[in-house]
Amino acid sequence: MILLTGSDDSSLVTDKLCDEVVKGNPTVVCFYFDYASRNEQSPVNMLGSLLRQLVSGQEKIPEAITQDYLKEKVSIGSRVLQVSGILKMFQAIAVTRRIFICVDELDECVPENRMVVLESLGQILQGSPNTRIFMTGRSHVRSEVERGLSGAATFIFIRATEDGVFRFLREKLGQDTIPNMMSSTLEEDIMKSIPAISSETYVRTRLRTKLPHD
Amino acid sequence: MSQAFNNNYNSFNTFNYTAPADRSEILAWLSPLEPRVRHRDIGARRVDSIGAWLLETEEFKRWHNGNREDRSYHPTLFCDGNPGVGKSYMMM
Repeated sequence: MILLTGSDDSSLVTDKLCDEVVKGNPTVVCFYFDYASRNEQSPVNMLGSLLRQLVSGQEKIPEAITQDYLKEKVSIGSRVLQVSGILKMFQAIAVTRRIFICVDELDECVPENRMVVLESLGQILQGSPNTRIFMTGRSHVRSEVERGLSGAATFIFIRATEDGVFRFLREKLGQDTIPNMMSSTLEEDIMKSIPAISSETYVRTRLRTKLPHD
Repeated sequence: MSQAFNNNYNSFNTFNYTAPADRSEILAWLSPLEPRVRHRDIGARRVDSIGAWLLETEEFKRWHNGNREDRSYHPTLFCDGNPGVGKSYMMM
């Protein structure tokens, strides 16, 4: 089993899934797309990372993986590890296990790689009936998700709630490192105006605009 | 050519004389990426329990508890939304 969360971290979905790791035997593997790391986040590295997390929870590394690794060591220049091989190795482990794959910010995966990633995840789902995928991303990639996963997805539109924004602001203002630069009038203004207007807006941008020294 | 020859020599040399493949080397070969770092970074910045409503939605419960034999069941849950609404913090 894999527990990605450290004890000091605060989490929601992965925490809920990791709770089950204690009760049963599911495995939670995660990946975070980041446009700034687009050159490193190729489909092979991304899917390899999921496989790596899966394998690192096992006592023994599967023989097929060790053999491919040794093959690459003696090969001259060519990369033995390919998407197809990773999927085969992933499915060999996943077929008997309950696995949750969490993928963050799919829209930050470069467009030319996105469909490869989605179709690969779709293949994993087809070959391992106990695997589920939780993904986040901006709405413009919805149609690609539907296409890549052959319609095997449910969508939820996420909005910032007024209460959530209020608590977020309260927490951030409480962490202000130069509190004497904040006037009570400005703080009151922030706490009143931002939650009211910020559902579906970029809270952090608003906060930056309002805080005088941020 | 000389470089290729050297690589060839070194590779076979390693193969012949190195003990069974090291576990951490194989894991790094599978992927050099470390999503754990990003996970901790987001987790450290998240405000506790914001977004907990997601866990109570029918969509989440059905995805989490549903049965793949049910033909209307979907094994993927995709949370989409505008930038900054907290999608990453929800996944965390």
